[in-house]
Amino acid sequence: MRRTVLVLLALAAPANALPTMIRLGYVNCAACHVAPQGGGLLNAYGRSIDEAQSLRAGEYQPTTNAVIRALSWGGRITEDLRFVGQEQVSTSTNAPVLGLFRGRFMYRNATELGRSLRVSATLVGENESAARPALVYEPAVRPTQVYVTSALVSWRARSGAGSNLEFSAGRDQLPSGVNLPDLAIYVRSRNRLGYYDAPTQIKMFWWGKRYHVNPYFFGPAGNERSGFHETGGGTLAEFDVLGHGRTVAGVNALHGTSAKLDRTMVGPYARLGFGKWGVFAEHDITTRTPNQAGGSSTFRQDASYAQVFWAAREWLVAGVAGERLTVQSPYRESLVAGGFQLTSRLSPQFTLAISTRIQHNQLNGRTSPAFTLQLAMKTPQ
Amino acid sequence: MTKHFAPFVCLFASAIASGADIAVEGGAASFVVSTSVPAISVKGKTTAMHAHARVQQNADGLQLEQIEASIPVKSILTGMSIRDEHMRRYIFTTADGKTPDLRFEAAAAACSTSICQVTGTLAIRGVGRPFSIPLKLRGDGATFHVAGDSTVRLSDYGIEQPSQFGVKTSNDIQLHLEFTAKEAPAAIASGGRK
Repeated sequence: MRRTVLVLLALAAPANALPTMIRLGYVNCAACHVAPQGGGLLNAYGRSIDEAQSLRAGEYQPTTNAVIRALSWGGRITEDLRFVGQEQVSTSTNAPVLGLFRGRFMYRNATELGRSLRVSATLVGENESAARPALVYEPAVRPTQVYVTSALVSWRARSGAGSNLEFSAGRDQLPSGVNLPDLAIYVRSRNRLGYYDAPTQIKMFWWGKRYHVNPYFFGPAGNERSGFHETGGGTLAEFDVLGHGRTVAGVNALHGTSAKLDRTMVGPYARLGFGKWGVFAEHDITTRTPNQAGGSSTFRQDASYAQVFWAAREWLVAGVAGERLTVQSPYRESLVAGGFQLTSRLSPQFTLAISTRIQHNQLNGRTSPAFTLQLAMKTPQ
Repeated sequence: MTKHFAPFVCLFASAIASGADIAVEGGAASFVVSTSVPAISVKGKTTAMHAHARVQQNADGLQLEQIEASIPVKSILTGMSIRDEHMRRYIFTTADGKTPDLRFEAAAAACSTSICQVTGTLAIRGVGRPFSIPLKLRGDGATFHVAGDSTVRLSDYGIEQPSQFGVKTSNDIQLHLEFTAKEAPAAIASGGRK
């Protein structure tokens, strides 16, 4: 029971990506992040935005320290250390209240080798794992206390701020629609987008003022359970509908196959920004077909997510989210969840967040609330 | 004359025929500028535009005269305070450290049906340059609803395109105006300025 509750309610939000920036006309992640998929290290412009969007709201000044410049190979190495500490209290109907502290360290590095080539990696260590739910038809990958969530070799067609074509190969999380950092939401946790899902892949990013196209092919990461080493491909494509940088609609579609299970996912989504507030919405339809002799036939999963967020201050963002998950027989599930979160970016180095989430199982009537306090710290890049 | 424009003219025909003052308080003006990075464009907005003009009805339609408009620089916001500071510093501040209001003046503008082509002088940093904007008018009882789009080139004012860590704004700023013009109170009382 303890394990089930923790797995279902784990709010493993690394809080390192800000899709809420759609409210200010940032249509995709490539403007501020080293990797166009988003999350992880920031480029120089992103660091200035990070500083501007904090309570400190100061001017970002790149270091002029000679030692640090030398250590960063004249600016070619971007790196930081990050710590995310989470205190979580959760319970469930007829279950005791559980408290859990999860600490996670990350070392992130991106090194430029010449004008267009970049190697990057993220090494993570943690005291408590937060695997996605272990399902009968799709077991979670094996978590380890130290692992590499991302290791990529990337080539950008031309260097500089105006570049808009990149190829990457290695292991990483697969592209996702709304691209929220909260890995516990159904659209992620039920579509193999958990913290330990880092398939081997090759992907392309091509983006412009109104579009972003991201085809990808993937193979097993190596940490999957026997028979679930998945191979496949997909494409994420999005478009700024009204052309004002604040109305992005897209779809992420993929097909994967493994010895025991095939799955096909189609997930339309939208990111909308209206100045101080905005909306995220995603609906993923996943069909799974077991490949075992005598196994069950194809069944469908629907995972929906919607959030309304409001930036009371540039550094203080509140959000209310609702979710729904349904899975057809023979693995029937019907879950709804709702939550509130408040994120305060005290400085580029410190982010404090509180969140609540209540999940209700409509089949067995079990309700599972959770409260999480999270502090994220990172060294200056 | 369009069906939208007609009611306004009918209601105020007597006042307008002899000339009436119209005023704008709290009009909205917004801008969009693209940057060297495809995913970034900067938007700004103010709802503090003030304007007034004298309007007359003649045989050819409406005639606007003595058009003046101003926007306080501090009222223009982009949603990010640091970016607002940069905008004021790099775009609107004069060499001697002042930030004069944006000002527009035009002697006259002729209107055909529901569009007025307004040509005059737009001053940024106190430096005036020719500026033209077509304004679409829609009459609604005692008021005009007005909207228009135009472009301002920073280079026309000798302003360098701001750049922040490799992200450089375009030279062309797309402007959008949207406001409601009403007959000025003094004009209503006097039946129009003579």
